[in-house]
Amino acid sequence: MSEQNNTNDCLMSIEHITKEFKLSDGNILRACNDICIDIPKGRTTAIVGESGCGKSTLVKTIMGIHEPTSGRVMFHGKDITKLSNKEKRQNYRHIQMVFQDPATAFNPKMKVKDLICEPLRSFGIISKGEVEERAKELLRQVDLPVEFVNRYPHSMSGGQRQRVAIARALALEPEVIVCDEATSALDVSVQDSIIKLLVKLQQEKGITYIFICHDLALVSLFSHKVVVMQKGSVMEQLDGDKLAESTHPYTRDLLNAVFSVH
Amino acid sequence: MLLEINDLDITYGDNTPTVENVKLSLNEGEILTIVGESGSGKTTVIRSILGLLSGDGHVSKGTLNFKGRDLKALSLKEWRELRGKDISMIFQDSGNMLNPVQTIGHQFREYIQLHSDMSDSEADAKAVEILKRMHLPNAENILSSYAFELSGGMRQRVGIAMAITFHPQLLLADEPTSALDVTTQAQIVKELMQVVKESGTAMIMVTHNLGVASYMSDKLMVMAGGRVLEYGNAKDILTNPQSNYTKTLLASVPTIGGKRYV
Repeated sequence: MSEQNNTNDCLMSIEHITKEFKLSDGNILRACNDICIDIPKGRTTAIVGESGCGKSTLVKTIMGIHEPTSGRVMFHGKDITKLSNKEKRQNYRHIQMVFQDPATAFNPKMKVKDLICEPLRSFGIISKGEVEERAKELLRQVDLPVEFVNRYPHSMSGGQRQRVAIARALALEPEVIVCDEATSALDVSVQDSIIKLLVKLQQEKGITYIFICHDLALVSLFSHKVVVMQKGSVMEQLDGDKLAESTHPYTRDLLNAVFSVH
Repeated sequence: MLLEINDLDITYGDNTPTVENVKLSLNEGEILTIVGESGSGKTTVIRSILGLLSGDGHVSKGTLNFKGRDLKALSLKEWRELRGKDISMIFQDSGNMLNPVQTIGHQFREYIQLHSDMSDSEADAKAVEILKRMHLPNAENILSSYAFELSGGMRQRVGIAMAITFHPQLLLADEPTSALDVTTQAQIVKELMQVVKESGTAMIMVTHNLGVASYMSDKLMVMAGGRVLEYGNAKDILTNPQSNYTKTLLASVPTIGGKRYV
């Protein structure tokens, strides 16, 4: 229950992030407009909104893929948008990412064991001889058969590949895992099993998730906090279990767009 | 009966059949949805109706009858007259079927003139009229645009507009809204529903979104591993599923206000 006590701690705070892009016609596109979000430790924060609402731009800023025009992202007392390259590399041991389509995120010529352990090898944490053993251990954590160590990504299903992507993200024992539409390309039954896996790992390891998604029904099931974005701005921030009761007109629009089975 | 398929087996190469024993029938104006996870053979089934199986796929057993004609016996010339006119298809991302270096208008005109003897200006007027039916503003501008200049939702509307140009009797749709946001998906599903109802077009749609399937379908087919698990009235199957797989699938659909995992 120790995590329960930590749940109100803020692990990362996104403070007044604005990101502008210069367009080829000279105009300026403001993809993120003064965004402030506190990411609670050991919890799941979902960022939802339509395509073009700026959620991916925000994630890229957190991941250091580009610098914000203004604002900062505080993580362990440091502004991670202004690190030197060397510091950045060390910092991103603690923040890992799972992408929408692992088929394109993996090098197709590498075996599963090398894919999973590449981050560990890259930081010199394990030797070549330890790769197979560590890979098996990580596969067990994501409920995949250990024989998969010698497979290639193309000889697995989408759900299995996504589990490998999660195993790889877990390898460095990060504090934060950013999932960018991590289940959008999967079938519902597979999606359900991946969400259950993520929840299980969070309960075991206290991982903090930032979950980018456009499916409100899905995020309402497992996120502790939901941030609704539209056109670069945060419209509303609310508790995950209060999503259905939202009265914000844009959130209502999103909720009403979900087709229910019955 | 518009379309009748009996004992259909589809085989790739000389292997055992990928899809076995499919039986379905469709009346004018009826909507059938095929659901199932990736690899279950749902796309293979609809591609076989258009005689467009990829690679060395072929119908190894069974019959396909469209308005009393045996589809297996058609000559190439007969196929050319049928495809895109009596039977047309919508893909997951219509951007992929459009030529990136030609304007939408050029391709639309080419398509219309292939199936009719309209002049250039008549074909353009027809294209504009159909784009307007799909709620696309500035249809003239869209005709002079390239596919990459349009958003995913607009491209999909163009794809649907092209597919309904000649009031096909049968429309095949392969995951027509899966690549879209929830809000765009909701609009397009409703628009698609309206145009098929207006023109009395029958439709077979492949999707893994059971909510969309429930909203649109008269009939439902559930597939897994190349076999048909359930087939019949959509409402009956959704309210009273017989196979365990359908039950799992329905239980996996995230619903707002459903049971939370955390």
